[in-house]
Amino acid sequence: MAIAKAERLMNLALCLLGTRRPLTKRELRSSIEAYVESFGKGDHGGHDESFNRMFERDKDDLRELGLVIETVEGLEGDVGYLARRDSNRLPPITLDAEEAAALGLAAKIWQQARLAGAASGALQKLRAAGMPLASGDDAVDAPHSALEPRIPAHEAAFEPLMLACRDRRPVVFDYRKSNAAHPERRQVEPWILECWRGHWYLAGWDRDRNAERVFRLSRITGKVRSRQGAFTAPVPDHVTVRETVEVWAGETATGTARIRLRTGHGYPLRARALTVRELGDGWDELEIPNGRGLDAWLVEFGPDVVVLEPAELRADVIERLRAVAKG
Amino acid sequence: MATNAIDQTRRMLSLVTYLRERPGARVSDVARAFGITEDELIADLDILPMCGTSFRGGDLLDIDTDGDRIWWHNPDDVAAPLRLAADEATALLVAARAVATLPGLREGDRQALLRATAKLEAAAGEAAGASSRVSVTFESEGGVFADVDRAIAERRRLWLRYYSPARDELTEREVDPIRLFAVGHTYVEAWCRLSEARRTFRLDRVAEIRLLDAPADPPPVELRDLSEGLVQPAAEDPEVCIEVGPGGRWVAEYYPHDSADELPDGGLRITLRTPDPASLRRLGLRLGRDGRITAPRELADSARRAATEALAAYGE
Repeated sequence: MAIAKAERLMNLALCLLGTRRPLTKRELRSSIEAYVESFGKGDHGGHDESFNRMFERDKDDLRELGLVIETVEGLEGDVGYLARRDSNRLPPITLDAEEAAALGLAAKIWQQARLAGAASGALQKLRAAGMPLASGDDAVDAPHSALEPRIPAHEAAFEPLMLACRDRRPVVFDYRKSNAAHPERRQVEPWILECWRGHWYLAGWDRDRNAERVFRLSRITGKVRSRQGAFTAPVPDHVTVRETVEVWAGETATGTARIRLRTGHGYPLRARALTVRELGDGWDELEIPNGRGLDAWLVEFGPDVVVLEPAELRADVIERLRAVAKG
Repeated sequence: MATNAIDQTRRMLSLVTYLRERPGARVSDVARAFGITEDELIADLDILPMCGTSFRGGDLLDIDTDGDRIWWHNPDDVAAPLRLAADEATALLVAARAVATLPGLREGDRQALLRATAKLEAAAGEAAGASSRVSVTFESEGGVFADVDRAIAERRRLWLRYYSPARDELTEREVDPIRLFAVGHTYVEAWCRLSEARRTFRLDRVAEIRLLDAPADPPPVELRDLSEGLVQPAAEDPEVCIEVGPGGRWVAEYYPHDSADELPDGGLRITLRTPDPASLRRLGLRLGRDGRITAPRELADSARRAATEALAAYGE
């Protein structure tokens, strides 16, 4: 049976952490059983290419776990590797039981596999470094908010985009705008991922449009591919995904509207009304903030809402109602 | 369970550090500290003796267990606590910041989160940098949240005036809260004494809330697995069919559905199930010329009738 990958990675990590001098690839190959078993000791030059590929992948995996692996060039041109203790050590951190409980709650909220794994891995590292068990872990009644937060990230584009944001790598993907029949290829320098109301958005620099753009992850079709090279546009200090999305969602008022609303109906409209006046005939008159998408929302209330002004909003609502009435 | 090799490697590295400081640690304690089952821990302990810094004459980790306690006979300074990886720092920091900004969270919890965040940022150093590239905001109504939280802690019944968008009406009901959860919006799952059933209430739809003196007494219910999604229609629920043009594709993003088939004009034919099709009249009205409900017939008709009636008020 082939030696498990975890055992191979663990041995490579311990070798690199344990050594005081850089170890060459040949030394590592001949001293880790999993490599010897698969590729021989390398004395006769066999399997070199497949060993090299596995070795590079293994090093990358360990780096993902946080290991700082240095590549040192020797006098004779041979390359050696080591993970210095001082650059790999966690600085001292002391967390009390309350703080440990808070982090324990936070670590549970990812539903995305990679981040869920990373969160428990981080807790384990902190635990190994002395973080106490939280009182809640002992199933004793803890004086904490009875809250279970969850962050969904079902979109296939989430993980590649998170890595691209992290590593500042340009990406290419097909994107279907909300009202478009067909997706279009977009070349983007990804800046930040933001989750708002349970949906994920990406903000970045759109290379073809030469402008900042916000993308909704659920509208990305197909694979996200990385591109070589660096960002060409400067990354702003403050990125405003949420403000942009709020404008889309019509939460930024651009004026006010006057409507008539049947008594007892339309609670959300009343909740945001600037003024409410009872008309006494089974109807109230409301002044509400007007913004993008208000027409579509008002139509939802059917015959319980009548738009008075502005005229443009009134016309939009009538047009929508006509389309529905026609069927 | 299938363990991902990367996660297992990460865990074993921490395990070695942990065991070095705690000779004779109990299997049950270690499993709990690491958030894993005892079987998973034993699987790790089976691998560790095959690992070592083999350069220095094959010194493998001499770790063994009698099933109760764990011993490491040749502890070694290779086991210093390891720095956090960028993804690890991101996972904890983004989550902690998101929860800390939740309106209505207890002040003690918020302070603990903020302190932990600051310490973590300092300890993570460079690795914390990428955590500013992911951000999560939970929406919540602070006052309502605090009342529900208190009711759960004190096991008290709540009185709600609650807005149902499906019926466009406010109803008053008494509920026994079970838990609060946040998935984008914040919700309370509760036993509703009005409908004698478990119900989920979105906090921003609570128009009024009062803590009652009566004790909460929800019957034992099995908590739903939230990763399956909030809306979990039953197989026997009636089917609704909606055809949308390109401008109505958003329906597939907002409504959990059984199928969404492409139409030649760039639109979609969406089928979904709901216990209460009448609640979708709003959607039928909202779609305008971007789509229409094709089945059931009564639902399509009711949207049309509502539109015709509404037009009458405009003199049409």
